[in-house]
Amino acid sequence: MVRGGTFLVAAMVATALGATATPVWAQTTRIGSAEKMTFGDAAALVAQSCGADIEANCRGVNFDANRLRECLSRNTDVISAQCRSDYLRAFDAIQRRILARVGVANACTREIVKLCNGSTKETSKSIPCLTRAQGVSRNCTQAMDDAGYR
Amino acid sequence: MMRIARRALGDFGLPLAVVVAFAASALPARSQTVPERDAIVSQLSQFDSAPELDVAALRQRVLDKSRSRARNEPEPSKRPPIVPEILNLPTFTVDIHFDTDTPVVRPDSYQTVGRLADALVNAQLLPYTFLIVGHSDSTGRREANAILSQRRADSIRDVLANTFKISSKRLQSLGLGEEQFVDQEHPTSPANLQIQIVTVGKVAESEPGQTLAAPPPAAKKGAKAAKKK
Repeated sequence: MVRGGTFLVAAMVATALGATATPVWAQTTRIGSAEKMTFGDAAALVAQSCGADIEANCRGVNFDANRLRECLSRNTDVISAQCRSDYLRAFDAIQRRILARVGVANACTREIVKLCNGSTKETSKSIPCLTRAQGVSRNCTQAMDDAGYR
Repeated sequence: MMRIARRALGDFGLPLAVVVAFAASALPARSQTVPERDAIVSQLSQFDSAPELDVAALRQRVLDKSRSRARNEPEPSKRPPIVPEILNLPTFTVDIHFDTDTPVVRPDSYQTVGRLADALVNAQLLPYTFLIVGHSDSTGRREANAILSQRRADSIRDVLANTFKISSKRLQSLGLGEEQFVDQEHPTSPANLQIQIVTVGKVAESEPGQTLAAPPPAAKKGAKAAKKK
């Protein structure tokens, strides 16, 4: 009981130390590292884990996220275990990277308007400016990284 | 070699049968190098001025030429390029494998297409529009080659637009078939099966506010920001 308690305290201290040692933004990157893949990496994961399954079961289906996902899920009982465990993860990573573009409009509102003279309605027009601008917040920079703009 | 790399990349749980099947299905003759995002970006961002390209008209011209039955047709390597304009534009050429006679991208080329998408969302390329150009070698029926290369260019455009949500306003596609080769000197070379991405223009400049509802506030904010700076 006593030993268990010590362990618990030690664990809590360790967690607290860990939390203070790394800033929040770095932590989210690390925790999310599995999900934060480039398009190239996510596409490679699909090919690597599911290439043979796609050739065997999804002939004629192009590299279209919806159709491919649909085909693989329809064949879920015959595809390899590796594919089954990876394909949703890969497509989710692609989806998350796409959705992260919306996050830039939110995280960079101040920068878009004040530094780049732009509009959050047309975020993509401001991105080249944002990546070069001085005084961009850490949140905004992180959001641009998540979207693959930098 | 390739097999080892694949295994090292994945979890070790990848069943051997899958690995073998995959290796066997990969094309042995044409080894594929996956381009780096930054190489694509730096190549395609060297853009000066936009030529006038009427892609719809060009498509028609390719089809017409591919149906040409003229007696004095030059041999394939002597055909004059149908779109000489693109020869002077920033171009990135990639190896993308398709299923035979179809526009379906093979899994061993997914990563390449993903890298293209990564490049196209990069800030340096966001201001530009692109033409995706399909080609073919000089074997097979000339008209069929024109049609297939168009379908393959369309296919890459669709993957970029649908799977990676690259704005379709930035993407056009054109199949040149065997009317303009990648490797003009060698019309039968597999180099002519490659896909080219060409920077052809800038995204239309719709001033924020002009098309949208509220121009005055946007302008005011801009002025304020300029003063503060």
